[in-house]
Amino acid sequence: MTTPSDSTDTTGNPGSGETTLTNLATVREGAPGSATGAALGGLLTATATAPAPASTPGTEAAAAIRAQRSGIGVSALREDAPTKAMGVYPYAADLWAEGLLWGALARSPYAHARIVSVDTRPALALPGVYAVLTADDLPPGPDGTPNGAPTGPYLADRPILAAGVVRHHGEPFAAVAADHPDTARLAAASILVEWEPLPALTDPDQAFQAPPLHPDGNVFRQLPIRFGDPEVVGEVVVEGMYQVGRQDPAPIGAEAGLAVPRPDGGVELHVATTDPHNDRDRIASCLGIEPDRVRLVVSGIPGATSDRDDLGFQATLALLAARTGHPVKMVLTREESFLTHPHRHPALLRYRHHADAEGRLVKVEAQILLDGGAYADVSSEVLARAAAMSAGPYVVPHVFVDAWAVRTNNPPSGRMRGEGALQTCFAYESQLDRLAAALDLSPLELRRRNVMTTGDLLPTGQAVTCPAPVRELLDAVAEEPLPPLPVDQPDAEWLLPEGPGCAGDPAAVRRGIGYAVGMVPMLGIEGADEVATASVRVTGSQASVICAAVDPGTGFATLAKQIVQEILGVEDVYIAPVDTDQPAAGPSARGRQTWVAGGAIERAALMVRQQLLQPLAARFAMSPELLSIKDGRITSYDGVLGMPVLEALEGKDLWATAQCRPHPTEPLDPETGQGDAFVGLGFCALRAVVDVDIDLGTVRVVEVTAAQDVGRALNPRQIEARIEAGVTQGLGLALMEDMTVTDGHVLAPSFVGYRLPTALDAPDIRVAALIEDRDVVAPFGAKAVGAAPAVVAPAAIAAAVRAATGMPVTRLPIQPDDAAV
Amino acid sequence: MLPASLDEAVSAMAESPGAVPVAGGTDLMGAVNAGLLRPMALLGLGRVTELRGWQYQDGAALLGAGLTHARMARPDFAALIPALAEAAATVGPPQVRNVGTLGGNIVSAHPAGDTLPVLAALEATVTLVGPEGGREVAVSHLLTGLDPLRSGELLAYVRVPLLHAPQVFLKAGGRTGPSRAVASVSLVLDPARRAVRCAVGAVAPVPLRPLEAEQWVAGCIDWDGERTVDPGVAQAFGEYVASACVPDAGTEGGAARTDAAPTAARLRRTVSVLARRALGRALK
Repeated sequence: MTTPSDSTDTTGNPGSGETTLTNLATVREGAPGSATGAALGGLLTATATAPAPASTPGTEAAAAIRAQRSGIGVSALREDAPTKAMGVYPYAADLWAEGLLWGALARSPYAHARIVSVDTRPALALPGVYAVLTADDLPPGPDGTPNGAPTGPYLADRPILAAGVVRHHGEPFAAVAADHPDTARLAAASILVEWEPLPALTDPDQAFQAPPLHPDGNVFRQLPIRFGDPEVVGEVVVEGMYQVGRQDPAPIGAEAGLAVPRPDGGVELHVATTDPHNDRDRIASCLGIEPDRVRLVVSGIPGATSDRDDLGFQATLALLAARTGHPVKMVLTREESFLTHPHRHPALLRYRHHADAEGRLVKVEAQILLDGGAYADVSSEVLARAAAMSAGPYVVPHVFVDAWAVRTNNPPSGRMRGEGALQTCFAYESQLDRLAAALDLSPLELRRRNVMTTGDLLPTGQAVTCPAPVRELLDAVAEEPLPPLPVDQPDAEWLLPEGPGCAGDPAAVRRGIGYAVGMVPMLGIEGADEVATASVRVTGSQASVICAAVDPGTGFATLAKQIVQEILGVEDVYIAPVDTDQPAAGPSARGRQTWVAGGAIERAALMVRQQLLQPLAARFAMSPELLSIKDGRITSYDGVLGMPVLEALEGKDLWATAQCRPHPTEPLDPETGQGDAFVGLGFCALRAVVDVDIDLGTVRVVEVTAAQDVGRALNPRQIEARIEAGVTQGLGLALMEDMTVTDGHVLAPSFVGYRLPTALDAPDIRVAALIEDRDVVAPFGAKAVGAAPAVVAPAAIAAAVRAATGMPVTRLPIQPDDAAV
Repeated sequence: MLPASLDEAVSAMAESPGAVPVAGGTDLMGAVNAGLLRPMALLGLGRVTELRGWQYQDGAALLGAGLTHARMARPDFAALIPALAEAAATVGPPQVRNVGTLGGNIVSAHPAGDTLPVLAALEATVTLVGPEGGREVAVSHLLTGLDPLRSGELLAYVRVPLLHAPQVFLKAGGRTGPSRAVASVSLVLDPARRAVRCAVGAVAPVPLRPLEAEQWVAGCIDWDGERTVDPGVAQAFGEYVASACVPDAGTEGGAARTDAAPTAARLRRTVSVLARRALGRALK
């Protein structure tokens, strides 16, 4: 492993986490030439690093904006930060209604079994039980028999209550409403079921031959990619098998919700959803009523990394309320939460990389197998993301991929930050490390020789039209000074792998440095209709935004506020809570809200601005284009005429509603995998520094340095927070997060068995550069930032462990056996 | 019920035999919240101040069962019984250490209880107080069920011999943050008896003592000199301890899982490394 050329500068800046928060754009403390800037706390760094390759024209513009207190480019405080910090933020589990009943679900103890008979009488006989519902209470299927009202985002195959057969451990087959949560659980447990256990299909490799688990078959999708010449062979060929475990989104608050029946036979649901309108439509269809009789109100969301609740939870809750005529509240236990919501797709990947003697990639061959669990969910989409991203952000003239997503009796897989792209990033970055070793090149140099840039082709034949500053990202992380070695700082306390006061032994610790770069598609793919609608209203001194884009903790509401402040110059912006009476804004997933909903808010605000400026322009006898709004004042182009925005707004009530619909995409060809399926791509490079106890195989990540392609930093502090969150989640998958499943049974569905990174496990996360190269088609030129660091972090940490130990490291999470020498 | 003294607590226990005593509640309340336990009554021990400190008695320390992990991790206590302080410092996150108690750790008897291997290596005894008065029981006898806690009895004190010699506790959890032990090793030197005592935690339901390995390594130490051993001896000791405490996979019943063999090999390796490091640190 080669260290960057400036690694002699090991003085570092341990407190840089603080400093970087205040820095706006391209910032490099301690880098050659910017010592002054670093000393002055970053205010001057933007100009001090101007000659550096990462800086762009956007930097100066951003630096000019920083003097402002609100609007775009300012590190505004998160909307929900004060209430969350004070503990008064209302989450879904805090909801209450007078006379409410408690819901509970009865779940399958088997991974695969036939339900011979269900006797609900013992449950109904319990005092306090109001209703016990099974698949028989749902609208029947087309043939008139109960089928559990199956639903799903692409294929409607997941019943909300199992009918006849259960296909994964924990699948609900009955729902209970009672006057006390304990009674409800007791009733759920007292339902008598005669099971006929069936053999569980848990090895995705066997799914092709095994008897179908579902009438739809066992293969959700097969996607080949045929790009270039299959006969080409490189001078150097490396092969590898890689395995990615089952990561759980592990929301810190388990699923919870409240359903209130409406007089018209409909139901109002208060749930922590990230996709209210689609959920409403699917719930209505499960219940067999019109969508306008179901209303979803989005309550406080305690953690979501894209999709959150599974629909079965919401639909059964609605059904219980509709049937009992009482409000029903349901709060899942941690165990149920682990069993029911979708996890990251476990993956098996086989790769063969061909390169010429200079290390230029010639051909990539890959086989990708995703374990989709029992039901389709978004497996087909995740597969397309995995296959299309399978060569990574590199120029590869020939790519041949065969990818499958299959059905098993394992826990359900679904959407989770960086879905598809993460699994392949680990594999192709591991392959590049292997190739670097085979060619005796530094991993960094090998990557530099192959990076893609704007105009290069993806394996799907699509040209990358957005900025792709991959080389700049790599250079930015490589130029950052490395953290000091403990031997150079004998007085500082050294946190060993295994943690404070435990078994770590400094003599057995090896340090490793690893690099990885990756990319992630933004927005829906393959022809998904991406659209959002937003309304902006200004009355007097206050602007309000009505937009059904859910902020699940990503900070979108804060961005919405900044957008309106920027365009209208109004400080006081109210973001309305989200419900389904508002026009749809689509799911908060795939990094789309900043672009799609942000774009809709921008357009609506611009329309309001036009309404505001038109009469003024007429009064000044100039066209409205010659007026600008800045620092709360409307000023003419020559600066002669002007008035405060608030004065211009006096007595006015301005409204505008607008839509944003990014350019359409097309499905990938089922035979060749070719097609313009993506709207845009985001890139990220990470450098991980790890300490490994080579006797015990315990890994501690010391530092992760990030450089990210952000298009434009709308709120730098929020971007830093997203990078920290993504890196920490990626670290979890790399080192500890794994749902242990044996024969389809989830063994330890708790936070003791499923280990999340704590503050001690999380490394120092430094942002080397936020590269602002505006994406001209995106609103404000901004790219989605949440997923990319999570996609790259596991690959970077694996590379660092490889460098420290010399072991191949081919699976995630990294086990002690993979890191002990 | 909130008794203010040990006597009151014992009589309260006698009056309501169904009551469950609660000190820190870190294990108990977790079980209650998960719906695994619905005690008829709780007997709060938080106000029994006499159990929250320690005193000296005949060359031993008499530790109150209500000593918190955070208190034991402080330097004054660490000077007294270093291994116990080290173990207490590794228990959970600070929130748990601030309320979790020594007595609770023993009574819960979780296989991965961090103080248990230390107490086993120190050959500590506990004082159980019931309506008929107190009795002394070895910690290991209590844990193995050889001499269990009787109805109405409270764990009042833990008697730990003061050895005035190096003692260590090492815990492997597989991560940097607080974790349940995968394996832990406590090793104490007893120069007066020229003995090494070692206990391995978390690999079995109770801490295990590799007696043969202890005897063998005690014979390898030059007790009158520098008290050092050859690195090869430390290595061999580690393997000796590991093979004594971690059984071969497949020996227990035919239904051994396919992944049991690598799991056992990894655990054996971990225990071996811990025991080797423990001996190295104790003889440093």
